[in-house]
Amino acid sequence: MNGTILTIQHYAVHDGPGIRTLVFMKGCPLRCSWCCNPESQSAQPQLRYLKFHCKACLECVEHCPTASVSASDDGMQRSFDECNICESKVCIEKCNNNAITLSGKEITADELVKAIALDIPFYRNSGGGVTFSGGEPLMQPAFLLEVLKECKTLEIHTAIETCGWAGRKSLQDIIPFTDLFLFDLKIMDPELHQIHTGMPIGPILENLAFLASQNADIIIRVPLVPGITDTLPNMESIAEIMHANGLEQICLEPYHSLGQAKYEEHGLKYSLEHLGLYNMQQINVLCDFFTLRGLICEVA
Amino acid sequence: MATSELISGREIVGTPSDTRSAFFKARYLGSPLMMDIEYIKHLTASHKLTEGMEVLERRATDHAYALSKMTAVIHENDLLAGNKTRFIRGAIPYVNYAADPFLKEMRKEEQDAQSKYAEQGEGGGIKNSRAEAALNGFRLVSEKFLLSAEDYGQFEEICEYWEDKCFMEQGNRLWKTQFGNAAFIENGWKIGLYSAPHEPCPEGRLILDFETALAKGYLTIIRETEEKIHSFQPENIADSEKIHFWKASITVLHGAIALVESYAAQAETLAKTEINPLRKEELLQMAEVCRHVPMESPRNFREAIQSFWFTYLLGHIEGSHLGYSPGRLDKVLYPYYKNDPDITPEKATTLFEEMFVKMTQIEYIASLSWQGLGHGNLYQNLILGGIDENGERSDNEVSLAILQAQINMQLTQPTLSVWWDEKLDTDFLMKAAECVKTGVGYPAFFNQNTYIQHELKTSGLPLEVIRKNCAIGGCTEPTLQGMSHGIVQAGFVNHGKMIDLVMNQGVDPFTGIRMAESRQPATFEDVRKYYIDIMHDAIRNWQQYWNIVMVAHRNTVPLVFCSVFVNDCLAKGKCMDDGGALLNQSITTLSSGLVNVANSLAVIKKLCYDDTVCSFEELRFAVNENWKGFEPLRKKALAVPHWGNDDNYIDNIFLDLFDEYCDWVSGQDNYLGKPYDPSMLAISTPVPFGKVCNAFPDGRMKGESLADGVTSPFPGTDMFGPTAVIRSSSKVDHTRIRGGLLNLKFHPSALKGESGSKNMLALIQTYFEKPGFHVQFNVVDSRMLLDAQLHPENYRDLVVRVAGFSAYWVEMSKALQDQVIWRTEHSL
Repeated sequence: MNGTILTIQHYAVHDGPGIRTLVFMKGCPLRCSWCCNPESQSAQPQLRYLKFHCKACLECVEHCPTASVSASDDGMQRSFDECNICESKVCIEKCNNNAITLSGKEITADELVKAIALDIPFYRNSGGGVTFSGGEPLMQPAFLLEVLKECKTLEIHTAIETCGWAGRKSLQDIIPFTDLFLFDLKIMDPELHQIHTGMPIGPILENLAFLASQNADIIIRVPLVPGITDTLPNMESIAEIMHANGLEQICLEPYHSLGQAKYEEHGLKYSLEHLGLYNMQQINVLCDFFTLRGLICEVA
Repeated sequence: MATSELISGREIVGTPSDTRSAFFKARYLGSPLMMDIEYIKHLTASHKLTEGMEVLERRATDHAYALSKMTAVIHENDLLAGNKTRFIRGAIPYVNYAADPFLKEMRKEEQDAQSKYAEQGEGGGIKNSRAEAALNGFRLVSEKFLLSAEDYGQFEEICEYWEDKCFMEQGNRLWKTQFGNAAFIENGWKIGLYSAPHEPCPEGRLILDFETALAKGYLTIIRETEEKIHSFQPENIADSEKIHFWKASITVLHGAIALVESYAAQAETLAKTEINPLRKEELLQMAEVCRHVPMESPRNFREAIQSFWFTYLLGHIEGSHLGYSPGRLDKVLYPYYKNDPDITPEKATTLFEEMFVKMTQIEYIASLSWQGLGHGNLYQNLILGGIDENGERSDNEVSLAILQAQINMQLTQPTLSVWWDEKLDTDFLMKAAECVKTGVGYPAFFNQNTYIQHELKTSGLPLEVIRKNCAIGGCTEPTLQGMSHGIVQAGFVNHGKMIDLVMNQGVDPFTGIRMAESRQPATFEDVRKYYIDIMHDAIRNWQQYWNIVMVAHRNTVPLVFCSVFVNDCLAKGKCMDDGGALLNQSITTLSSGLVNVANSLAVIKKLCYDDTVCSFEELRFAVNENWKGFEPLRKKALAVPHWGNDDNYIDNIFLDLFDEYCDWVSGQDNYLGKPYDPSMLAISTPVPFGKVCNAFPDGRMKGESLADGVTSPFPGTDMFGPTAVIRSSSKVDHTRIRGGLLNLKFHPSALKGESGSKNMLALIQTYFEKPGFHVQFNVVDSRMLLDAQLHPENYRDLVVRVAGFSAYWVEMSKALQDQVIWRTEHSL
């Protein structure tokens, strides 16, 4: 069976316990404006253009079969509407400066498991394992399930980082093979959730309650976005939901703009340019907020 | 628990434990580099009078005389007595080893073929020196050391005296006339196949038997040696040589005691006029300690440290060392710590802080090439932990105090290491991880069992003896402390240059010098064989040349004081150069650059023979054009698997070359009649070795540095992170060589907190289970990131680690990189 992934990152140490392999999977149902991996949203492979690598040799322009790249003042200009990522991918091949690359590739479940299994000795000595992130891993449920099953056969600790938007059946199927759920909660207000993520929150909360009822190991992850997720009422609601579901562990992920450039490189639009960054003090205050409510809070 | 940050800076920032330590560090940092001719002046004066004396006795007499004449300088606030020179940062010019580089500098001639590639550094003390030279009329020697105008005149005379008598010249006279392949060596220097002549600083990688030095004391050793002489019954003529060594030993120990007594006397003199009662008391105490050790056994921990320091220093003064090391100091000092009711961890830490400043203050002056290769670092390796003779863990409270001292001081010396074993205490390992996180780069971790297996195979010594004495002498060369001949080797062989020769029918592309017969390889096997044959010639000539040079060493600068403290020199009545040490296969052959050879052969195999993308001729042409106009071909070359990605296509080529190298090196006996031991290490060689090399088939551009370390990937060619590098590296049989280093770069956020430390230790454990031999962690700092902006090709694998975020450094725009740098700097 095939799946589509972005990258496999070895020696990842921030997404679950120990030394881990992080698999970034393609495709996400949500469209959060703060997303730091925008290239993971579409389920299809996408072209990426790194302008600062481009030496304007224009080999790509010359060879493009659909004429969707053209010369610009200081490099190439790509028309994202016309480029359908043709079979030939000749622009990538012709680029000697790695300025054009492909985000996303197909991989078989066997190949992926093999790549994950390479680091088994590291997992064993550190209490680590594999974490499926993305994107939303549950967008490729059958593929994910097969890989998870195989990992458990090899006694690898498994975690998934999920936005919680998934079919109940898909979720239920992976529970026996998933040791840890890193479950994102963003905005508790239904209307605001719809506006900022493009999806309703209802099914997400139902899935969370379901997971909790199945005694799954869950860590809540909250992306801290100034003025959007870090408001007092929102944080209060998150704490309440956690208490209601008997959950204790929460991990805050402060907003950063490091993903910003990737929007432009993939021909996407970034809407949060005006946002400021947190300093340590602010983060500490937010963390204390949850600690005071009896939760175990960490910062990623 | 709100402790973490988005992208963190240095997690651990140490501070000196008291104002005195802070004062020492500041004084060191503010001092210029001085050259001190006092020792060599007195040695020379004696040498003029001892003409005709037996070699060992003459060497001992000259050295002892110089020691007895040296000025005992006690600097402000010092508690530990003993300095190598009269200055804070000082170097002794060992012109008895090599006068030639100094004379050439004075005569404004080029020192050697490689000195133009040597980099001397610009900042810190070097900057201070140059500023001071301009202001106060000092002469600048070797580009960074100050010498007064008056001393300069004397120094010139001294150099001229040694011009024909020094080790280097005596060696040259032997090998240049008697070695059949002398031209190969000289051409090897011209084209950069070999590092520059090593005679200016050949000693080192040596560790004395400090355990015995402390426990017995010099007076007992003198008495025992005198008894040996009195009861000696020669059984043949050669036996009578023993008398010379024993007499020389007694002479040199008396000289050492004379210097120690000068320190005691100086402390007493200073105490007399000292008005501060506290300082007066300190000076009197120092005098009392110096009246007792190292002549007799220490009575407490402080005396043990002083006794160690004197013996260590006296050994250092005797020879022109690079890599002379303290060894397993935690183990040696522990009995004195345990039995001292007044010592505390804090007091011990403070004592080590002062000692580490003193170690850092020792400078070396050699040829520009060797100064550049060592980068001013003396590689004084202090190794902690490990297991003892019974297989029990030997980390202890002293190990912790030493780590704490380095965390507090963050000095470039000593080169701190840890012998890894599963049995080590977790607290100790976590403290070691903490030290790494200061960003000082220490400790490096070494797998003790790997070296034990090596020595069991090659030396045949009992397991207990190897366990007890194994240590690291120098950068990464394991040795047995107190019982091995130092690794007195010829320098480095540049594997990269051999690729130039393979690509150009045996001719160096820059000088046109022919080094090997012309061949036109038709198959990959032909290419491989061509390289192997060139490597064979390069290694064998180098070893045979050095065997001849070492005859001159024995006749000019044999180490007598050091031999006294290497077993079983005294018992055998032989100095190290006569085979007195118990371990004599310690003279290794060093090389670097094998990763580039393997990568290049993989590319040739894949592109020219497996896939026939281009012919060997075309590839040669592309390389000789430095890839200009051949960018598409270079892209294909870079796409061929490179070392460090756990890909058997290339890894098997590397392993094959590695075995060939090891087999060949040990096929030649050294000058002590034992097989040469293979070793690979790098120090700074990848930079100058790369500068003299053309572009390589592996995609490397002309003049770029070679791959660092021994199993470290070429920068930017490892695509799958540190675990893949380790998987590749662990395929190497590290028990075959002495040394084999792997450097890993980490952004501080990857090592953050307790979990970061634990993950780092788990990484080490996994590598050493395989088993690997050495791993060292460079915590990326903002300076390194600035370099990454300038040279992104060297940082292809650097991942900016943020939870759930996917990005490589090189895929970030300058603005984002700036943001990461800013955050790294400000610990956000």
